Amino acid sequence: MFFEQLGGNLIQGIVLGAVYGMATMGLSLIFGVLKVVNVGHGAFIMVGAFLTLFLFSSLGINPIIAIPVAFIVGMGLGLIFYYTTIRKLIKAPELATLLATFSIGVLLEELVKLIFGSEFRGYNWVVGKIDLGITVLPMSKLYACIGSVLIAVLLYLWFKKTRAGSAIRSVVEDSEGARVCGINVGWAYALSFSLGIGLTVASGVLLTMFIPVGINPYMGGAYTLKAFVIAVLGGLASPYGAFFGGLVFGLIENGSYTLFAYIPGVEPFALTRFLSFVILLVILLIRPTGILRAK
Amino acid sequence: MKRSLVGIFVVFAFLLAGVSFAGAAPDKIVIGHPACLSGKYAKAGEQAVGGIKACVEWVNTTYGGVQVGDKKIPLKYKYYDCESKKEVVTSLIGRLVSVDKVNVIFAPYSSGLTLRGAPVAESRRILYMDHGGASNAIFRQGFRYIVQTIGPATRYHEGTLDMIHKIAPNDKRLALAYEDSEFAKMVMEGARDHAKKLGFEIVFERTYPKGVTDLTPLLSALKVSKPDLVLGGGHFEDGQLFNRQMADLNIDVNALSLIAAATLPAFYRALTTMAEGVMGPSHWEFGVKYSAEQAKATGLPWIGPSQDQFMALFKKFTKKDMLPDYHAAEAGAQVLAYVLGVQKAGSMDSTKVRQALGELKFMSFYGGWKVDESGMQVGHSMVDVQWQDGKRVIVWPEAAKTGKACYPMPTFEEKAKDVKAIPK
Repeated sequence: MFFEQLGGNLIQGIVLGAVYGMATMGLSLIFGVLKVVNVGHGAFIMVGAFLTLFLFSSLGINPIIAIPVAFIVGMGLGLIFYYTTIRKLIKAPELATLLATFSIGVLLEELVKLIFGSEFRGYNWVVGKIDLGITVLPMSKLYACIGSVLIAVLLYLWFKKTRAGSAIRSVVEDSEGARVCGINVGWAYALSFSLGIGLTVASGVLLTMFIPVGINPYMGGAYTLKAFVIAVLGGLASPYGAFFGGLVFGLIENGSYTLFAYIPGVEPFALTRFLSFVILLVILLIRPTGILRAK
Repeated sequence: MKRSLVGIFVVFAFLLAGVSFAGAAPDKIVIGHPACLSGKYAKAGEQAVGGIKACVEWVNTTYGGVQVGDKKIPLKYKYYDCESKKEVVTSLIGRLVSVDKVNVIFAPYSSGLTLRGAPVAESRRILYMDHGGASNAIFRQGFRYIVQTIGPATRYHEGTLDMIHKIAPNDKRLALAYEDSEFAKMVMEGARDHAKKLGFEIVFERTYPKGVTDLTPLLSALKVSKPDLVLGGGHFEDGQLFNRQMADLNIDVNALSLIAAATLPAFYRALTTMAEGVMGPSHWEFGVKYSAEQAKATGLPWIGPSQDQFMALFKKFTKKDMLPDYHAAEAGAQVLAYVLGVQKAGSMDSTKVRQALGELKFMSFYGGWKVDESGMQVGHSMVDVQWQDGKRVIVWPEAAKTGKACYPMPTFEEKAKDVKAIPK
């Protein structure tokens, strides 16, 4: 019974972890290229969630179709916020960009609240389930997991195989050197920021495919906190590291629950959170750049 | 000398006049209320103010005022917006007592705000009536001037358990899974005690933290315990998540009851068919069958408007086409309790009215009303609501129900195929 439960929870953990990872890649990308900590990260996830809700409930559009739509909308939002706010603050003290991204987050939350209200919403997309014997996996969760992995692979290939990806990588390595070599660093910043926001808004769609309820303007807060933990786990400046960090986090969250449930007198959920942050602190102390970062 | 005599006469005349004013019955009884008209409890506050206005109007017009001695005195309702903030509640209670000279304070909505205002009312020795604070903790502080109309948290699930005990006496395996919050723990403390009295076996009990985003590990463990019925929840958002992830994991039980979520229309809007058959306790629902005839049958005195009259008055004062919910009903019923308390005491003195309320038993459109020594409500039964074919049906108690319970509820596989919870 113990191994059945543990196995079931680990499967659920991998599926959830992939989505968590995807939801963190945008944060890591923006930090990696622009050195901007996007504390309004969760608000962009929320925008993706509301977009899915709107497309599904009002127009009957399948959440899978909502992924590219959300990505494009997110890139548009990223460009708008980059050129109106972030660009002017890149050279300013870190506190300025922290406050700016915080303000953008609050602005988005209040705007969505104004349009949709503060009610907790949800949608019911029934596409069947797979009974694995030790656990039941809804197809919507499986699609979310596959979607996350696909996006992570595509992002990896884009960075490795395209000129734009190489340009961004060179800006990350040495922005002055990249400028001397003729790379438009400002353009690289704008593209990276909009790509990061695009990924984050798209991850909002994937998260609602995993959990299609609890959609409200302030839902992003919980994911922002998780995203920071995952980003540090994987390496704050590494989008791929963030993806693997998400997998590790999902496994810790779900797997440790089964183990803690066997300790008499404790509430397992309280300990899973405790463990997540203990691991975070230990990694920060031993390897401050994250698991997948050499430097 | 002459001037002094005139002066003494004038002072004496004023004193006499003062004595006569003091001895006369007042021309109005004032209810003071720090109401939540803005902030996070604004919706509940709007309902409560509408309910109070409706019942004040009924008392002043249909009932003819409050009988004190040989005089009928009208009620006056004085309220200010407390912005759903604790610090504003305390200052407003001071103002209502000192400046507006109110006779009674109606507490604001929520346990937190009610508890915050209670020591202020207590220090002013003024009756403090609680219509929106369900936490039992309020009544464990030893306050002497507080009286409750809303049912206490520990009684939320009594009706659910009573109903299942009656309709399926062999279903005894009970699972409790709830938010790690003061309110939910209080609700489940009551459920656990009542379940034991009825012979239920608690096969699973776990909590989850506030703001949880994934309940899969907890629900997977719950599934293994094979319960017949599950009582759970804490707040609206985790209630939605709870139901959704039970569906995802195919955790089929005969009954699922969720606090603070399942009775709200938004719950069904979010979950649609997955919410079919799910139940939730509520203090009151529009459609309950409490009436003067029922009161007579149960040997309780009846006071107040009928449910339809209450709704008409409520709409008149809110100027909106919305149905009164339990926030409105319990606030309105509190006006009726106060009126009966004053009449029984024959006075507006808070100490006397408090004592009279302690001996009071009655029924209104809201249901039964009776408090224990601490002032906690013990006479009001919660109603249990079940989603049946997209509609909320009151399935318990017998005295209030509008339909039969669908038991067992359809499985999640059936619900995915659009099978509705229709009682056999």
